[in-house]
Amino acid sequence: MTPFIHLISAILTLCGALTILVAMIGTVRLPDVFCRSHALGKGLTLGLVLLLCGLWIDLGSEAAGLRIPAAIFFQFLTLPVASHLGASLSYQKRLPRHGDPRIDEDPRLERSPRP
Amino acid sequence: MTQLAQLLIQIAFYTLIVATLIGFFRLVRGPTVIDRIMSFDAVVLCAVGLIVLLSRTWETSLFLELILIVSCLGFFGTVALVSYLRRTLPDPEEDSPETEAKETRKEPRP
Repeated sequence: MTPFIHLISAILTLCGALTILVAMIGTVRLPDVFCRSHALGKGLTLGLVLLLCGLWIDLGSEAAGLRIPAAIFFQFLTLPVASHLGASLSYQKRLPRHGDPRIDEDPRLERSPRP
Repeated sequence: MTQLAQLLIQIAFYTLIVATLIGFFRLVRGPTVIDRIMSFDAVVLCAVGLIVLLSRTWETSLFLELILIVSCLGFFGTVALVSYLRRTLPDPEEDSPETEAKETRKEPRP
């Protein structure tokens, strides 16, 4: 029974790490503050929750207690809030957006016609 | 079965290290200041993920408070920087094309 639990926990941990990697690749590839906050707010939340679930299964409830559910609840509470704060600040201050000529990071965006 | 689990955990370690390096890349290169803030938050959370993996490798529950505290610090740092920038960043002018054209000739914002 115990090796199966170890394997399930390892699979959950690997899924969480891959989700975090996808979120970070999203921060590099996406063109805009809003798109990056979208990638971070969703991908990091899911990845960290999967990592913590893997740790919870592996440690067992008597060793971990209520601290890992508290950590999971805290991630669900804070990560979307931080992402939303960044996006709302950049919307309020009119930071350059995707398709704006002030963005000179990706040269392909300059050549594409603006809608 | 246990060796397969160990291999998966090692792959997860390398994956999180690569994710942290990608976050540092965006932290150095971010065009606006909010990119830097959010990528710093992401780097802190990748460090939290590495702590989770370490605590899973060593089979201890000593690091759980550390997980809570570090993620808490990342979140409060983000909130403090955002509320500071909400006061100090210049407000956008009215939506007229002239000011927009003037703004494009000026220096890009930080």
